[in-house]
Amino acid sequence: MAGATEGDLVTGGTSQTNAVAAGAVGLAVLLFALALAALFEAITISEPVAGVPVVTLLGLILMALGGAVITFGVGSYLGYVETEPSPSAGLVAATAFSTIWFVIGGLVASQTAGLGSLGSFLVASVVGGGTFALTALPREDIGSTLPAGALTLLTGIVFVTGTIGPSWVWALGFEQQASFTAEFVIPVLTLLCALISGWAAAKAYGGFGARGRHIGAYVLVYVNAGAIIGVLFVLIAFTTLRGVPGLLTGFEFGPGVGPEVGLFGVSVALPFSLPFVMNGAALLNDFQGVLPAIVGTVWLVIGAVVFAVPLGVGAAIFLTEYAERGRLTQAVEVATNGLWSTPSIVFGLFGFAFLVPRFGGNKSLISGMLTLGFMLLPLVLITSREAILAVPDEYRDASAALGVSKWQTIRSVVIPAALPGVVTGVILGVGRIAGETAPILLTMTGGTFVPGGQTVDVIGGFQFTGAPPFVANPELLQATTALPFQLYALITAGVGLGDTVANPADFQWATALILLVVVLSFYAIGIGARYYFRRRLQS
Amino acid sequence: MSETTETAERTETATDQPLETTSGETEEQVREEWREYVFDGRTKLAAEDLDVYYGDDYALKKVSIEIPEESVTALIGPSGCGKSTFLRCLNRMNDRIRSAEVDGSVRIDGQEIYQESVNLVELRKRVGMVFQSPNPFPKSIRENIAYGPEKHGDLQTGLLARLLDRSDEDEREQLVERCLRDAALWDEVQDRLDDNALGLSGGQQQRLCIARCLSVDPEVILMDEPASALDPIATSKIEDLIEELAEDYTVVIVTHNMQQAARISDQTAVFLTGGELVEYGDTDQVFEDPRSERVEDYITGKFG
Repeated sequence: MAGATEGDLVTGGTSQTNAVAAGAVGLAVLLFALALAALFEAITISEPVAGVPVVTLLGLILMALGGAVITFGVGSYLGYVETEPSPSAGLVAATAFSTIWFVIGGLVASQTAGLGSLGSFLVASVVGGGTFALTALPREDIGSTLPAGALTLLTGIVFVTGTIGPSWVWALGFEQQASFTAEFVIPVLTLLCALISGWAAAKAYGGFGARGRHIGAYVLVYVNAGAIIGVLFVLIAFTTLRGVPGLLTGFEFGPGVGPEVGLFGVSVALPFSLPFVMNGAALLNDFQGVLPAIVGTVWLVIGAVVFAVPLGVGAAIFLTEYAERGRLTQAVEVATNGLWSTPSIVFGLFGFAFLVPRFGGNKSLISGMLTLGFMLLPLVLITSREAILAVPDEYRDASAALGVSKWQTIRSVVIPAALPGVVTGVILGVGRIAGETAPILLTMTGGTFVPGGQTVDVIGGFQFTGAPPFVANPELLQATTALPFQLYALITAGVGLGDTVANPADFQWATALILLVVVLSFYAIGIGARYYFRRRLQS
Repeated sequence: MSETTETAERTETATDQPLETTSGETEEQVREEWREYVFDGRTKLAAEDLDVYYGDDYALKKVSIEIPEESVTALIGPSGCGKSTFLRCLNRMNDRIRSAEVDGSVRIDGQEIYQESVNLVELRKRVGMVFQSPNPFPKSIRENIAYGPEKHGDLQTGLLARLLDRSDEDEREQLVERCLRDAALWDEVQDRLDDNALGLSGGQQQRLCIARCLSVDPEVILMDEPASALDPIATSKIEDLIEELAEDYTVVIVTHNMQQAARISDQTAVFLTGGELVEYGDTDQVFEDPRSERVEDYITGKFG
């Protein structure tokens, strides 16, 4: 790739050397991926790949990468490679490199050479200061490659020679007996070296200078963005892999094996049976399940949303469209933000002390719904307010100029235009409350294991009575369970696990997986709704 | 309906230092002269001693003017001279600005609109408005046109109306077609009435806004620089449309473009800095032979 620079419009003859730099960038990305995989135990560092242990392989790649970076830097300095370096690599790079080399110098002096703390500090200072000078003083092509390449080369040598091998453990000697194992240290070091050398190689690829810095930053930014997606993916994959065995315990497929499902008076037996999500927990069950917790979570979220959304949107309309900016709106703003930062356990205590005595004195589903509704309220209010404020004033003017009243304008123009933003707020809020454990622990939950027969049935629970209030729903006043609480109880207390569940770890992971699925399903519904409302505004 | 009887009162409010004018008269004399300007036709709108303040700032000072019906009246002047403020007084859109205070009188067909018992809904149905940048609702073209009448209850198209068999679907279709035809947009959009209005081009959006304004059957149409955000072709379409509309409606248009004012208007009112109405008369007369020197300077480009 010919670099378009200020000196020459087109520079030629650098394709081979640039290929070296590009190869180094590729090596860095490969190392980054390998290190992440090793960190999350997707590959084991002591296992051999093609006859070579993974740790040695990592070391060899690191050495190649470090060598390539140094070679390119020196080659550029001596004029073999055509580049446009700046006079210096800059203070930021110098500070970063000198800090790293300060630590390395200190570690080598104290751990390998066995110097005391004063000696180690002196050595560390000299190494760190030397690195600072080496980075800041010479031209950029030396300053940004040599410290990075040397670091990577050194790490590679340490891995290959076995100084840090698969069975290496660094006992810190603290009271807590903390220690770092090779399984953790090797991937982390590899990650660090890959990042730094990748950055240096990317700069070299761009021929240093402004263009090189641009490409270096580009690589760092992309690696970070990739890492975020990677973390989410790994988290979901990790939970899924561990949760699936528990989820599929007792899975059967075939006509008539599933439980009877009644809809409008027609009863059909499902063609498959998945006990984990279809059963409760009972002594006589072949397989235990978490159906009551799933249903409890779903009703909990629905109840909180039904309670909080009209209230929050209504308050947002009042604050943005009707209230004059002044003391009142400021007070409401402060109160909202305060409410949003209130710890969830405090909400739980409030529900326990205020709501529970008023709903029959027992923990109940409705207390949990309202407590979570209170938690959801400030976020719905804040995001709805932002969304309504973002609706262009031109719409309001146009409507007013047609003689349409304010309330009709709000109802037919402002709210439809603000809906996608409101839905975004609800999505975020639901994500938070669906996983809350503390508030429902205090307001709603009964036993850890709830039999399938006690699954809450809110719709079927409505009864008409002869006396006021004419409608009653005992199901809402009953204690039930929800997935986050069930998970918490299973892990911390492990209540009754040994007797009722064959493999407790599988059961816990499967519960976590189901919680993740339920929350992500709400998320998907929210995104679908937002997409629908946006489309309605645009097409 | 010239108001010579009140001239004495008005001269008190004129500029303190008399300025020389083209004919050697003072500005007060010029003012008296154009006060006696008589147009053909009936007066539709009349403003009298209209003052507007935003907080402590004067936006309009003692503006008095009469606007004839079924004609185009252009309001021109430099930025910040109060012509848009004046326009917004005519349908009380200034009520929406909390800091704005209006003092004086505006009459439509002789009825005062600045009094307690005025029905704002009825006023704004009679005095429609088109804004500077096109502002269709993010709804379909059909819904944009039908919006006003539906909200006013003149068209019943909701679910309840359909269930009760009182739905005005046909009336709505006729209304949409009539308004779009009047706004010279029907041929371009008749096949896509259900498409979102935001998908139209800028010029089409502005004509849609004019059509929407026509949907509530106004008598007066106020336009606040309706073509300033449009390209020359769209602008010329809007100008043609304005001239057609003036056959049935009273059009008052604010514009920065003096050629536009000269092309399309019958009367021209010139506002100058400080919120004063400096000259008002037949467009030809104002542009070719302005009485005030300041107006001549402005029109010839010596003064902004």
